[in-house]
Amino acid sequence: MTGGYDERCAADLAAVGEGRDLSRAERAWLARVVTGAVRPNRDRPLWDLAHALAALAQATAAHEGRDLVTLALDPGLATAQACAARFSGSEAADGRGLVLEGEPSWHTGWAGLARLLALAEFVLTAEDLGAFGTVTGWLDELVAAPDAAGAAFLAKRLARHLTAYRNAHLPLAREERRFRALLGFLGGRRAFSDADILAFWQAGMAAGERPGFRTVAEHFVTFEAGAHLVDGLDGLSSAASLDAHEGWEDRLDAALSDLAAAEPAATLAALLADWPEGPKILTGAEREDLSDFLRLEPFHRTRPLTALRAASFGRVQSGIANRLRRNGGGPDIAARAACTEAESYAALTERASELAAHLARMLRIAAALRLVERDGFSEKTRAALDAAEADLRRVRRAGFEDRAGLTAGFAAAETALLRVAEETARLERALATLARQHPLEQGFEADRAVFAAALSAAYAGEAAA
Amino acid sequence: MSDEARLLAELHAARALMRAPAPAPRIGHAALWAHATRAGGGPVDLAVVRALRTDPDTARRYRILLAAQSIAYAPLAAAALDGALLRRRVGPFALEILEGTPPLLILRGAEARPPRTIEAWLGDAAVRLDLPPPVEGAIVLALDPVVPEAVELGWMLRDPGSAVFLL
Repeated sequence: MTGGYDERCAADLAAVGEGRDLSRAERAWLARVVTGAVRPNRDRPLWDLAHALAALAQATAAHEGRDLVTLALDPGLATAQACAARFSGSEAADGRGLVLEGEPSWHTGWAGLARLLALAEFVLTAEDLGAFGTVTGWLDELVAAPDAAGAAFLAKRLARHLTAYRNAHLPLAREERRFRALLGFLGGRRAFSDADILAFWQAGMAAGERPGFRTVAEHFVTFEAGAHLVDGLDGLSSAASLDAHEGWEDRLDAALSDLAAAEPAATLAALLADWPEGPKILTGAEREDLSDFLRLEPFHRTRPLTALRAASFGRVQSGIANRLRRNGGGPDIAARAACTEAESYAALTERASELAAHLARMLRIAAALRLVERDGFSEKTRAALDAAEADLRRVRRAGFEDRAGLTAGFAAAETALLRVAEETARLERALATLARQHPLEQGFEADRAVFAAALSAAYAGEAAA
Repeated sequence: MSDEARLLAELHAARALMRAPAPAPRIGHAALWAHATRAGGGPVDLAVVRALRTDPDTARRYRILLAAQSIAYAPLAAAALDGALLRRRVGPFALEILEGTPPLLILRGAEARPPRTIEAWLGDAAVRLDLPPPVEGAIVLALDPVVPEAVELGWMLRDPGSAVFLL
């Protein structure tokens, strides 16, 4: 998936997420606060954090900034339950969460506090601890006067700090330009089709920007996931002052849970990238193919035509871009741009079916390995497990000959295998439906003409060179 | 909403970050902080101690945490002419070694809170000792030759390349 961040930012976030063992919803929240995808005011979480730290300084009678650092870095305070257990009953708590004396309008629940402490760890440790001493010094000042004024002052400092971080590590200008173009293209529409994605890509190619087809499709994935959120936050956007909005946290929570629901529990790309070592349930080539098919999640099940275009012509375009980067290697630009090497939709569909069948077979083998005691099962189930055993003996892959190692390997890969198999089956069904509506061969030939024309025109200069 | 494109770009980056596989450090911030703020003589996390010796990046991160919670620290000393050092400054504190049997470490300074612990680093080796309370403005610690940490501390402090943290 493309852009808008650098490796430093990804590593800073990963350190906090792993260290606190955050759920995906919490990681999503933190990532959004860091990128600034929070409305009506992207600094509001820092305002909340500064007030929470002031309240904690009061509640724990903190002497120095480092007492707050100890709270912020404590993975034992990563959950709402842990925060409630530690702080409810203290003078800075009411029945629902933390309060700050002298700032009656401010409040956060225990789940909110747990998230804010993760944000505290991020601002302390960001840039690979580059500003740790500075931020600790700010906390020293807060602890000396942990009141509403001290909190407001810290909030301003933290906002400037995070703004500087975004400027250094989140190059969003290009993404913003793309989305502005996309919004202009759709002219206020929220619904879009496969044809819109292709037309928008063609427009970008014709304008000389040469966006990757996959990249464009990814922007549409975000647009689809984010459009309802933009609508939902519209009502919040009128007043943007930091302390405005009664019930802001609850409303934002509701909007965020919508987005978390739109985000898959574990991304397929990550599952395939981190596939456990062990028996060769999937070969490297199979994982690559699956990554290619599933990278535009959820389009592989909702927009199979775009998934096919990305897998076939998106790959051709990446090949051209790679050749230009490497300055040579493989077929020349003109030949590539003509898309003669593009894989046909029928061939891709067949490969998707083979992968789905392979994964289904692996799932049955996983069941056979796991269910050793079979007396209680029905005749039919036992027959299916026996068939899987027979299948297992036919598999010629590394690691499949040693039963104990195989059982352990399948157990380790079970979660990933289940999800990848399920999504591949959904891809297969979506492609079958597509094939019934539009003959794949004709569709492929028509698309090849479109992509070849766009690519040949856009890369004409390099092809002639 | 006028900044809709901006919000979508921010969402896009957030979603991409959720998908970006990034390595988390082997020893997390929490473990390093616990080590930096541990009470003298308390139990230590051996995985942390090993990583501090073998992984320069972990040691670098640890020293950042240590410096931030120190009352004073000095990454290096100005070297004396003969390379050996009997006196150095650590922030607002003057640190001196009086040779003798045993050698005495003397710390003078006028900070609101006197340091309770001293930690010195030289290369990948570290030593930490608790300090007694000050008497008439000076902390005096005997570098007892039968206590290996005390001997090592004295040896490190005499080297201008050592970093000193007063906690």
